[in-house]
Amino acid sequence: MLVILVLLIPLATTLLAASFAWRPWIGWTSAASSAGVLGLGIALCVKTSDHAAVLAVHGALRADSLSSFMVVVIGTVSLLATLFTPRTLRQEIESGVTNARYARHYVVLMEIFITCMLLAVLTANLGVLWVSIEATTIATTFLVSHRRTDGAFEASWKYVILCSIGIALAFLGTVLVYFAELHVGGTHHSASLDWTSLMAIAPHLNPDVMRLAFALLVLGYGTKVGLVPMHSWLPDAHSQAPAPVSALMSGVLLTVAFYALLRFKAIANLTLGTSYPRALLIVVGLASLLLASAMLIAQRDLKRMLAYSSIEHMGLLALGAAAGTPLAIAAVLLHILGHGITKSVLFLSSGEIYHLEGTTEIGKISGLLARRPVLGGIFGFGLMALLGFPPFSLFLSELSMARAEVDVGLWWVVAITLACLGVIFGAFARHARQMLMGAGPSASTGSTSTAGSVALPLITGLVVCALIGVVAWPLQSLLHSAAHVVVP
Amino acid sequence: MIGATSTIFSIVATLVQVVLLALLGPLLIGFMAKMKARAEGRVGAPIVQPLRDLRKLLSKERLHARHASAVLPLAPMVIFAATTVAIAISPLVTTRPLLGSSADVLVIVYLLLTGSIAAALGGLDAGTAFGGMGSSRAMTIGALAEPALLVAVIALSIQSGTSNLPSIVSTTMAHPDWVSGPSRLLALVALVIVVIAETGRIPVDNPSTHLELTMIHEAMILEYAGPELSLITLAEAMRLGLFFSLIANLFFPWGIDTNGAYAGLALGVVALVGKTAIVALGVSLIEIRSAKLRLFRLPELLAGGFVLSVLAVVTGLVTR
Amino acid sequence: MSTTYVGALELASGAVLVSAVMTLWRRQVRSIVTMLSLQGMGLAAVAIILAVHEHDKALLVTGGLVFVVKGLVVPGLLRRVSKLDSNSRESEPLVNVPSSLVFAAVLIVLSYVVSSRVTSFAPTEATHLTPIGIATVLVGYFMLVTRRRAVSKIVGLILVDNGIALVTFLLTSGVPLIVELGSSLDVLLVVVVLQFLVVSMGRHLRTDELAEMKALRD
Repeated sequence: MLVILVLLIPLATTLLAASFAWRPWIGWTSAASSAGVLGLGIALCVKTSDHAAVLAVHGALRADSLSSFMVVVIGTVSLLATLFTPRTLRQEIESGVTNARYARHYVVLMEIFITCMLLAVLTANLGVLWVSIEATTIATTFLVSHRRTDGAFEASWKYVILCSIGIALAFLGTVLVYFAELHVGGTHHSASLDWTSLMAIAPHLNPDVMRLAFALLVLGYGTKVGLVPMHSWLPDAHSQAPAPVSALMSGVLLTVAFYALLRFKAIANLTLGTSYPRALLIVVGLASLLLASAMLIAQRDLKRMLAYSSIEHMGLLALGAAAGTPLAIAAVLLHILGHGITKSVLFLSSGEIYHLEGTTEIGKISGLLARRPVLGGIFGFGLMALLGFPPFSLFLSELSMARAEVDVGLWWVVAITLACLGVIFGAFARHARQMLMGAGPSASTGSTSTAGSVALPLITGLVVCALIGVVAWPLQSLLHSAAHVVVP
Repeated sequence: MIGATSTIFSIVATLVQVVLLALLGPLLIGFMAKMKARAEGRVGAPIVQPLRDLRKLLSKERLHARHASAVLPLAPMVIFAATTVAIAISPLVTTRPLLGSSADVLVIVYLLLTGSIAAALGGLDAGTAFGGMGSSRAMTIGALAEPALLVAVIALSIQSGTSNLPSIVSTTMAHPDWVSGPSRLLALVALVIVVIAETGRIPVDNPSTHLELTMIHEAMILEYAGPELSLITLAEAMRLGLFFSLIANLFFPWGIDTNGAYAGLALGVVALVGKTAIVALGVSLIEIRSAKLRLFRLPELLAGGFVLSVLAVVTGLVTR
Repeated sequence: MSTTYVGALELASGAVLVSAVMTLWRRQVRSIVTMLSLQGMGLAAVAIILAVHEHDKALLVTGGLVFVVKGLVVPGLLRRVSKLDSNSRESEPLVNVPSSLVFAAVLIVLSYVVSSRVTSFAPTEATHLTPIGIATVLVGYFMLVTRRRAVSKIVGLILVDNGIALVTFLLTSGVPLIVELGSSLDVLLVVVVLQFLVVSMGRHLRTDELAEMKALRD
């Protein structure tokens, strides 16, 4: 019942937003629905903490602790993003970027987007998982092109083309898994792509087929995750979408696709052993990390900088998953949560910066700390959290991932990762100094204070991030039982 | 003495094939011209007109260009000889012609290629602008069509498991379902494209044009006159007849003689005439419906033919 | 195993690949869309032939669905897009037509070599034909990469999708119905999205030549 309710809440909000003309209260309803999802997610976590899975609709929906954890992540980040929906839309309507009709579209699409992500993590069927991840592409395309500028159309065009061809590969991979499932032991079984039954017969799947399938899945879902060979849509889409959409895409959409990879990796591990999936993930992870650090050095645009940082963090996740021990997976999940919160805080504050300064070009922004201490402070602390400074949770998760990697003998991967993180730190420090320090343009006008409705959610987000970093114990058992879903 | 009677039969059959094609080739050209004229609302020349032309040319004087070497008069003979040999050994009215065992697809393709090269050399020999231009164009087209032809016949041999033409024909008769298989159909389309290119029909070349910018084959034989022109034209007509008969027999072999009986031979002749007439009708329909392609668009058409023949090979391998 | 079944299956899947090659060959958007429609129908034929042979009702439904979506609706949508566009020819592909045809031949041979390992593990009449599906996928990718016009890119995407669908039918006689429904819906929606984008971009940028898209870069 809980599982169905999680899906029904955003679905009901979708219908509500679709049937009324745009009013700010619809935006607040959307935020309330996200809060509801978060609450139900926590309830699911408690319910599944004893390694049991909750089934619904004749087993079509299934929540184990991994799914529940992902519901919590989706709930948290979408709560942050939807809290900014009324404000963003009001600003855009005032400045003539959009109108009431498109504002209504925006809310409807946002809720469809959230519903699809929830369905992706709650379905028991790996085929339906593919369908819902593909459906997120469709919903987000319109959100990326929401501003209807040339750049926004170009970004959404590239986004939909690249993601569709990438996700098509993932479908081929899924089909191959299904093919392997059909022919287990050479006889025709009834196959369904159901997670539980697949895990049960995983050791008997044909290794040749699974090798090809897993490579296609890494490439295919890797497109949605933003891993390197197929990453090029990400900076464009993230920089052109409205800030809450960027926050939601970067904060959870990428990691929902990564969740799909984690599931398939568990199956591949049982069929093929650890070395082949590990090698593939290390290749794409290191490539993403190297590319992101190279692109960050000379980055001129604030939102593109954040987008490349997402590629970097997805690379880190891939490397953590490559290690594959329970500790590594727990760290990966913690990183997913920490990155989701931090990145959405940063995107949302960058949206605020864009609204106030009229630009996202790093070179044209300066003196933020002096002129807008609260916003500048949030942004500065957000960057510190993103870079993995100690009080924040990303520090803890990066450290644990590194430890897990060393444990399985991947010390050279850790060495390369640390070198890349050093470069990225340098790049961020330079960009941050440019934007935060200095006196700023003397002709700057307008209010220097930051509205409480902006500051409060963002500060809360950062505080939560820091709290998780300092006292991870409430999460510890949850993370471990979630990790055990994919690492038996 | 079964061996001796069958050898005699083979000799007779081979002679029948050569004589039949020598008549059938020009008649097919006349038939297609007639079809085209009808489509354009004209009465057109009678079907036997190409034969009359050949006879008239024979009675004319031999004339050579001043700078021509021995290649010029030799070329028609080489073309004629190569085509005749190819006809003699191919399974046209019977699957048992003399030397039928040596009728490998590669042998036929290279015999035909020998003819093309001789024609090109003949065109170059007089040293005139048009002859050279025609030769170079014909060679370009040939270079593009030849691989497609080769791959298409390889597709057929993969399916039959042999590269011997008479065997391909007789195995096809034993497996009627092959004819509708995708590999066969693809090879058929590819071969039709190749044949249209090799025999110089629209949309590749226009056999009735003498406009210097567009002609290909006509430019090549512009310097020939009299009996030599007659010979070269006859050889080209026989070549066309051979191509049409091969298409007919490779894709619809029924009617051909397989037992080595004289009655079957007579039936084979009738069947071949009927089948080639149908092929000619098809080709003239293509000619009527399409405009000549510009020269630089030809590679697209022929590359398409090539891909189709590769497709035929791959589907042949897949479905075997 | 009846020969008519095998023959029909070969013919229908052959038609899918041939129409993929034809889309590379033709320049007129109108005839490309016709080819795409034929391909969708060929795909539906494959599904229906398999369904009849295996007495699989779900697959029969899928076949009907494929016929409607890929044979009629998607080409219809594309035709509407191309009508909005006065200049409906692929003007300058990055690779010219003869070279891309030769390249397609290479891809076809490649797919035959690649897919032999997968199919050898469960050999049936249908799985033998998998290389045809893989080849269609590769031709689609090739089209996506080398064609500049927006409509051609959409066509490439649909080719990829049809190829994958063909592989699905041949290898596994179709995925579970719910997944099939979902993926068909997704394809349809993607085409709708792309159509919307082409139209909007045409209004904004006055052209859908993607070579012009250079606003976003590092």
